[in-house]
Amino acid sequence: MIRGLAIAALCATAAACGRSDAAVTVWHAYDKDERVAIEALAADWNASHPERQVELVAMPYDGFGDKLGSAIPNGNGPDLFLYSQDRLGDWTAAGVLEPIEFWIDDATAARYTPEALASLAYHDALWGLPVAVKSLALYVRTDLVATPPRTTDELLAMAPALTARGIFALAYPVDDLYAHAPWLHGFGGRAMDGDTPTIATAEAVAAAAFARELVQRKVVPAEADAALTATLFAEGKAAMAISGPWFIADIPAGVPYTITTLPTVSATGLAAAPYLGTEGILMSARARDKDAAIAVALAFTSDAAAALRAERAGQVVPNPAAYRGALADAPRLAAFRRQLAHTVPMPVSPAMRAVWTPYKNALGQVVSGAASPAAALEKAAADIATYARTEGAR
Amino acid sequence: MKAGDLRRALRDALLVGALLWIAVTAAFVRDRNKDATQRALRHAQAAAELVAIGDTPPTPTAAAAIVGAPVASKQHGFLRRRVAHTAAGERPLGGPTAPAVDKLLYDAAGRYDKDGPFVAMLSDGSERAVAAVATARGPAIAITAGPEPRAPVPWLAVLGHLGLMLVLVGVGAVLGGRARGVGVALGLATWAFPAYFAGGPGLALAMLAVAAAAGWAHATGATDRAIASVRAHKVALSFLAPAGVAMIVLVVVPFAVGLALGFYDHHHGRWTFVGLANFKRILTGDGHALSDPLNFWFILGVTLAWTFVNVMLHVLFGTLFALILRQPWLKARGLWRVLLIVPWAVPNYITALIWKGMFAGEYGAVNSILSGLGLDRVSWFSSWATAFSANVATNTWLGFPFMMVVALGALESIPKELEEAAEVDGASSWQRFKEITLPHLKPALGPAIVLGSIWTFNMFNVIALVSGGKPGGSTDILVTDAYRWAFERGEQYGMAAAMGTIIFLLLLGWTLIGRGLTKGDEEARP
Repeated sequence: MIRGLAIAALCATAAACGRSDAAVTVWHAYDKDERVAIEALAADWNASHPERQVELVAMPYDGFGDKLGSAIPNGNGPDLFLYSQDRLGDWTAAGVLEPIEFWIDDATAARYTPEALASLAYHDALWGLPVAVKSLALYVRTDLVATPPRTTDELLAMAPALTARGIFALAYPVDDLYAHAPWLHGFGGRAMDGDTPTIATAEAVAAAAFARELVQRKVVPAEADAALTATLFAEGKAAMAISGPWFIADIPAGVPYTITTLPTVSATGLAAAPYLGTEGILMSARARDKDAAIAVALAFTSDAAAALRAERAGQVVPNPAAYRGALADAPRLAAFRRQLAHTVPMPVSPAMRAVWTPYKNALGQVVSGAASPAAALEKAAADIATYARTEGAR
Repeated sequence: MKAGDLRRALRDALLVGALLWIAVTAAFVRDRNKDATQRALRHAQAAAELVAIGDTPPTPTAAAAIVGAPVASKQHGFLRRRVAHTAAGERPLGGPTAPAVDKLLYDAAGRYDKDGPFVAMLSDGSERAVAAVATARGPAIAITAGPEPRAPVPWLAVLGHLGLMLVLVGVGAVLGGRARGVGVALGLATWAFPAYFAGGPGLALAMLAVAAAAGWAHATGATDRAIASVRAHKVALSFLAPAGVAMIVLVVVPFAVGLALGFYDHHHGRWTFVGLANFKRILTGDGHALSDPLNFWFILGVTLAWTFVNVMLHVLFGTLFALILRQPWLKARGLWRVLLIVPWAVPNYITALIWKGMFAGEYGAVNSILSGLGLDRVSWFSSWATAFSANVATNTWLGFPFMMVVALGALESIPKELEEAAEVDGASSWQRFKEITLPHLKPALGPAIVLGSIWTFNMFNVIALVSGGKPGGSTDILVTDAYRWAFERGEQYGMAAAMGTIIFLLLLGWTLIGRGLTKGDEEARP
């Protein structure tokens, strides 16, 4: 009795208590449709593997990453977990993750689009299998724009007619690097080269100058954040918007729209390429039965499992073979899939986390005309170098 | 000899002895683990050396082989295959169904490629060791089979030792007088022997010191008095305990951790002690010009200006509205009072977001009014002065009701006769305000100003939500800059903690000054 109470008291403080040793524990922060889909996958697995059950543990999204980072090194974490790739750099350095390229041969790798798989690789190793991908794409109000622009010149050309009616041709958070990235990459630039930020390059300057041109010609509003972008698009004050799959939920019923790929940058002939964010199933370095864990990870990312997730939860899955039958024609998924061919994997280096704010400051200065693109980006590069320098490294 | 003496001596010896036992046990476990680790590392190293020359290791291994160089897949550079050479022949490492133990060889070879020969414990908590030594064909790798056996706990020695301790204490108590304290000290001093073997001379000396102190405390009756005092205040202490624990857990510990972090550098999950380097980096401006928002002194200047301007406006508007509310000609006074307190009642981040929306360039209310008046639209967050003004406007809206409430309370306390007498004496309304109202407001407003200035100094929400530091971080104040060090500049928690310590010291200094000022007022009060 007392022992039972003591165990109950300990379990109240340690989330890991509920697991049984024979099971593969999977932590995730899914809810709604995505949760239903992954629970269906777990049920499938458990029906055919009575000796090695999967236990799903749903976690609140807030603080999920921090929880993983502190639970796993103490041996209290899951065997597998679902998370996007942006913390790979920190977690590999801290020994939280198990490298998994050992188990993955070319035949298995061929299941996934190369970009999605590559975005879970870091420092010559693979750290997870891709579950779903997300990138920006172009949302177009079909009542305001008959033919979506295929190039940036077409975009600039269609703007004056809309501006005359008090409508912005396009809305997106101009000063946000994530939203600006399509232009940066379209002009041939990159924010990171491995672990080194590459900020004040000629390509980046050209991209920032282009963003300023968009604002100065009143093609896009100067100060739209994500919320205002959604409002402008919903109210018909912006004919197009750059956003991701999550934007669909913000569009009120009755607004006629379509999703398509971002235009080609006329100055370079390169497609505007947004960042590719990849959600992966990652293995804890302290997983108890790693053979069973990799089998579960492979099963959850198989073509059939991906098709189920795409169908039930609308996930954009990185398995080309999953898109068969009705899924092959689902228009929203198709648009994001086409965009996938023109994406740049989100940098996973920890150094990237010091880039966002200075870059935002620089873009803000550029579009408001307070600083020239070159000067603003050089200031940002200097600031980022300041942050990257640490006392421990000196 | 009295039975009570023996009981008290045994009680003290057992209480202190229990603490020493915990310390010695911890040292014993640590020593035993260290010994097992060293054996595991030795075995792995020896096994790897034998594998390198083609021999079979004498101790059991989980895996042992010479592992070849990686061959990268053509499609994906990060998918790399290796081959293991063992006495039984060659086998490829890896694939969807490869055994987990092969992965240990594979990962060890990867580490060898990066770091060269090594011997280390596996990080999976299995207490196995892995060693890699160089050969012409690649690293020879061996992994031990499992945890090394550990020495058993010497229970017999523990029991014997416990008995010896009790006998010594008992003999001292029986002899009585000075021998009582000596007995307790000698009995506890026996802990120095196991401490010496488990933890070295340092721990043994510490045990002796504790034993001597306990003996002395027993002899002088200090332990008796301490226990009697706990007994006497049993109820009070048990009532205090929950709050005390909460204070320690929620205030003392985080504060101490925050102070300590300021002396460390955090980089990719690793903490390095750097002494005062973070503080030096902050206080010297870190090589940035004084006009650069990354220079601490620039931010401090902005913070001081921010605090001064805000508090001044809070007091000004607060007092003004309080005076108006007091006017006899005012109708529906209660309604006005409620309306003026509303800004305070609304959560401040909601207010901040509303004001941010009002200052928006394209569709903001402020710009709509300006253009309605035929004026130019202002891009509020692209220059320092306008962005700072927007912040100040928001915070003034948020801050004046507090000063108004304080001023209202103080005004109520002014005796009506005083004002009437002044009026009868022919004082003008300005004179009445200057000579009667103001002196009565001062003692109440003094502490409110100190409090208000501390709130404003650390007003994170308004800065973060309205201007967000725009343009270019120049409207950041110290506390938002500390946030950026922690969460936007590569998680430099050490810098953020040092910044927090500096903010604390500044505010502590200001509180002391402010207390001095208001105390002066109170003493001057009739």
